[in-house]
Amino acid sequence: MEKDKNGKLKIGIYELTGCAGDALLILDCEKELVSIFKAANIQSFLMAKSDNIDGELDVALVEGSVTTEKEKEELLDIRKRAKVVVGIGTCACFGGIQAVFLDKKEWEKNFKKVYGDIKMKHVKPVQSKPINAYIEVDYYLPGCPIGKEQFLSTFNRIIRGNPPELYGFPVCVECKWNENDCLLNKDIPCLGPVTRAGCGSICINHNLPCVGCWGPVEDANLTSEFKLLREKGFDYDFIKKKMATFSGTGMADFLGKLEGEKK
Amino acid sequence: MKKISVDHLARVEGSGGISVTIDGKVVTDVKFSIFEGPRLVERLTLGKTPEEDVNIVPRICAICSISHKYAAIRAMENALSVKVPSKVVQFRELMHLGEMIESHSLHLYYLALPDYVGFPNAIAMASEYELEVKIALEMKGFGNHIMKTASGRYIHGENPVIGGFGKFPSKEELIWIKNRAIQFMPFVLKTTELFCKLDYPDTPEDDTIYACCNPGQKKYGFAGDEIILSTGEIIEKEDYKNLTNEFLVSHSYAKRSRYKGEPYSVGSLARINNLGERLKGKAGKMYKKYFNHRWEKNPLFNNAAQAIEILYAFERIPKIIDKMLKLPDPPIVKYTKKEGKGTGIVEAPRGLLIHSYEVSDGFVSFTDIITPTAQNAEDIERYCCIAAQKLLNSGEEDKIRDRMELVVRAFDPCISCSAHMAEVKKAPEEDWKTKLDKIMKEGSPIFIGVGNRNRSDDGAGIELALELRKHGIKDILLESEINEREAPWKNRNYRPLVFLDAVDFREKPGKVTLVPIHYIFSNSALSHRLLPFISDEMNYERLKNSFVLGVQPKSIIEGKKISRPVRQALTRVLELIVN
Amino acid sequence: MRITKLKKDNLFPFLEIISEEADLWVPVKKEDKHVFKVVDDFSEIEMNSTRTILPPRKIFLPPNFNMFSVSEKGYKEDFSHVTKKILFGVHPCDIHGLIILDNFNKQAYLDSYYLEARKNTLILGLSCWPDEYCFAKSSNTHVIEEGYDLFFTNLEDFFLVWIGSSQGDDLIRLKPELFDEELKNKDIQTYINWQAERNNAYKWNINFAALPDLMELKYKDPLWERLGDACLACGSCSNVCPTCNCYNIMDKQCLGGKDGKIMRHWDACTLKEYSEVAGGENFREKRADRLKLWYTHKLQAYISKYGKPSCVGCGRCIATCPVDINVRTVGKALIGEEVDAFWARINKEVTK
Repeated sequence: MEKDKNGKLKIGIYELTGCAGDALLILDCEKELVSIFKAANIQSFLMAKSDNIDGELDVALVEGSVTTEKEKEELLDIRKRAKVVVGIGTCACFGGIQAVFLDKKEWEKNFKKVYGDIKMKHVKPVQSKPINAYIEVDYYLPGCPIGKEQFLSTFNRIIRGNPPELYGFPVCVECKWNENDCLLNKDIPCLGPVTRAGCGSICINHNLPCVGCWGPVEDANLTSEFKLLREKGFDYDFIKKKMATFSGTGMADFLGKLEGEKK
Repeated sequence: MKKISVDHLARVEGSGGISVTIDGKVVTDVKFSIFEGPRLVERLTLGKTPEEDVNIVPRICAICSISHKYAAIRAMENALSVKVPSKVVQFRELMHLGEMIESHSLHLYYLALPDYVGFPNAIAMASEYELEVKIALEMKGFGNHIMKTASGRYIHGENPVIGGFGKFPSKEELIWIKNRAIQFMPFVLKTTELFCKLDYPDTPEDDTIYACCNPGQKKYGFAGDEIILSTGEIIEKEDYKNLTNEFLVSHSYAKRSRYKGEPYSVGSLARINNLGERLKGKAGKMYKKYFNHRWEKNPLFNNAAQAIEILYAFERIPKIIDKMLKLPDPPIVKYTKKEGKGTGIVEAPRGLLIHSYEVSDGFVSFTDIITPTAQNAEDIERYCCIAAQKLLNSGEEDKIRDRMELVVRAFDPCISCSAHMAEVKKAPEEDWKTKLDKIMKEGSPIFIGVGNRNRSDDGAGIELALELRKHGIKDILLESEINEREAPWKNRNYRPLVFLDAVDFREKPGKVTLVPIHYIFSNSALSHRLLPFISDEMNYERLKNSFVLGVQPKSIIEGKKISRPVRQALTRVLELIVN
Repeated sequence: MRITKLKKDNLFPFLEIISEEADLWVPVKKEDKHVFKVVDDFSEIEMNSTRTILPPRKIFLPPNFNMFSVSEKGYKEDFSHVTKKILFGVHPCDIHGLIILDNFNKQAYLDSYYLEARKNTLILGLSCWPDEYCFAKSSNTHVIEEGYDLFFTNLEDFFLVWIGSSQGDDLIRLKPELFDEELKNKDIQTYINWQAERNNAYKWNINFAALPDLMELKYKDPLWERLGDACLACGSCSNVCPTCNCYNIMDKQCLGGKDGKIMRHWDACTLKEYSEVAGGENFREKRADRLKLWYTHKLQAYISKYGKPSCVGCGRCIATCPVDINVRTVGKALIGEEVDAFWARINKEVTK
């Protein structure tokens, strides 16, 4: 990657539809914030500054899912301008909570229930999808929101031209590191085994089950998790909805196949 | 006031924010648009368990995530008849104060202050105000620390649950927070002085209605079971719809609210206006020292109000912790109820937040969430309109964009949709034609002629109405023909109303301008006769469908005839309508 | 080896004295399980604890720690996890686990992070009573003869204390008057009775001697696929195992002139990424293959090489695995016994 005249990479931080939690988390790095701005040329970061410039970028960090035609265009434009695109947060990586209506008809029905027949003048809505539905994504940084440590170490690697290095295992690993007793063994519906680590197993540290907000881990054994929860007496639809809450497109294939199975 | 520098604005075009359209000397359109895409969050919660709902809804907004969680928990506990012990109540207040501190200091130092001292962002501002920025970041970090302690992480922590908390902090942790709060006091006082003393411009200023939670008799606070208005009215939380009356506009996916047809404001300024008298201690002293009548009508004072609230929060924390230290950690309260309806209201940092649910057979069957920024949207537009028009009147058009940003930012909307987006548009020549054409195409309007034919150009509206009648156009009314009971605005079919009138826009004589009727009220410079007609009987459906087609008079002289330029204008209008 | 006696009333005064010498780690309750922790209040010590969630190796090699810091000036090793420690309440099986780790870390590549921490820690063993998961008698790890500095056998109103090293002896010498050198016949008989009773308390056993052959014979058995279908690939079996020792290294570069860190964290061969090599190839992409590796290591390879399994019978995998994949069920299945486990049921119809 090329550096600007001061030897810094040009970086843009963009927000599509979401809660802005990932951008906010970057601002929550109070102690490191000045260093972040010093270490790279942050060309665009709407939440933090008003002197934003569009243009060629080395790295674009994109938060949120695509929910309007306008955002789709914006995303395509970011892809054109940036050498590397990193999806930050579960919405960008998997579509987030708003990507639960993956079936188009289902989405349309629900859209109508909220907004009726209103015609939006400037922005045509589309079903919420992760950014890889429209562009090629180089790296993913999941999390709802992303973690501070995870962001700082990724940011650091990126500005040095290295790819991010993330935990590829499920929450259970961190959960054991924190020496928690397994909640599944207490018949509490925990999504730890199918959810990507990085949060530090916070929920279980607080005696609460993992809700799956970091999205699915690559090697998730969804079938086993599903059947295990079934055996523990949980309702078919309950488990399905629980798995779908944060996983967006991440578990869609699996949950879709379940449709065909008998309850 | 120092100069405000807004540099090149990125991604303004269409990406959302505030836009104003100026037709000559008149503001003809103001839109506060949240182009945040539709997420259907309320729908996502249906069929989920109450616990899962509490996981999902904070994701509406990261910066208000604690408030969302708190409101949802309160609503669910009402619905499911869950009573929590005192320590839970205290800890919830503590976590909520953490969010107030974090959010208010982020807003004041990162977003608002750079405008007043002339920097594009807080990092740049640090070059001149290094210590302030550094300590402000620490203060924000302290708010974050409290939130992390209470909820598990900075944003979207899951520790607060229906019935209590998964885990309580250790005594050592609580004592640390208490001591740190005390250590911060000198800087907090400095912050309060700084923001109370800032030189806030007097444009825009106008009365509004303020709404906030009533935390109970004589108390200040951020949660309660009823809503209190600056008019003195009290609304029970279950009757929140009497306040919000939500409706949609076509330029935003966020629903709007009006109270009795009027915009209202929520947020720190609303709280300080409605409850400020109840403040005690140092916050009470600051309130008495700085509060004045300008705070009642100028949204920019929201910054000062937030600063006082930070002080309130820092004074409150040691008291809460002292109480918490005396109480044992209670387990999560279990419940057995599977049906119920419940509403929970809290004050998010940026204002009243309402969650309302129905649970049937253990699953959520109805969800209604009303966020503060959606409630403020109408007043944001109104104040921006007032500001833009006033600056236009005083020949300071170049200040409009900055000022509107200042106004929008003062409301502290969820920052992802507020930050740095303002746009000034010039209306095309003869813009009224396109607009009138559209009104006529979309519905069959009723034209109402207003004016006095004995006073030269003031008779323009009447003259035009009569001419239209002559040409066989239906649905023409004259001012004098309207009787109270059958006034067209009492009619529920909501056909558009177009008032024809001479309006002094300080334009070239004969210039025609078409504006939504409520802009006329925002434009204090205008002389018009419309006010007595409409009064407060018009509800918002009616209001947003009513327009004024105004012609700039040349002169208004008793006994004279209509002037030449005005007559020419009338002919042009006539032609358009007839054809 | 010297054996002495400590009255129960004298335990806390003894711990009080030795805790001035080093950080004292003891078993305490966490919910309804146990963990090793440093406490201020000795009454928190769980004298009758079952297995701790994590084995004592967490004290020598924390789950995630900084190996060295890097800056433009070079690198600096970080041994901050190495402090003087006394670990009290270690059961015989866990001491056996540490002996296995000691041997491993002393092989060709010396792991100084482990060895330094180990050198600075005294092990004060404590006798235990088997519960339904324990099978240490099968691996002969229910008793211990080495690897501790002191070993406390918990009897009626006193402890018999074995002194296993000169450092252990030094601890006693800090306040010898707390101990009673004179053992009475009655005390010895109490110990003999206790030992016999304890030996009988083991509820089940596993024939480790048969397993290396069975692993070989059943290497292609469909059993592994069935296990793989159920395995959540959560890595918990490895994380809780007292003899697992794999790790991964990640660098954490820091901003603003702060030093970067090279973090080392526990890894597990049951996790997919573990067997991934440069270029993205993965030799054990399937969960079944990874489980096979894990069990080969525990039940076959180690036995072939050292004549004993690298399983110490602590029962942690049994208590931990949510889908019941553990040495007990896998061992039983290898022998051909009927197994009552989630993994054995998974492919059967689940009715609503």
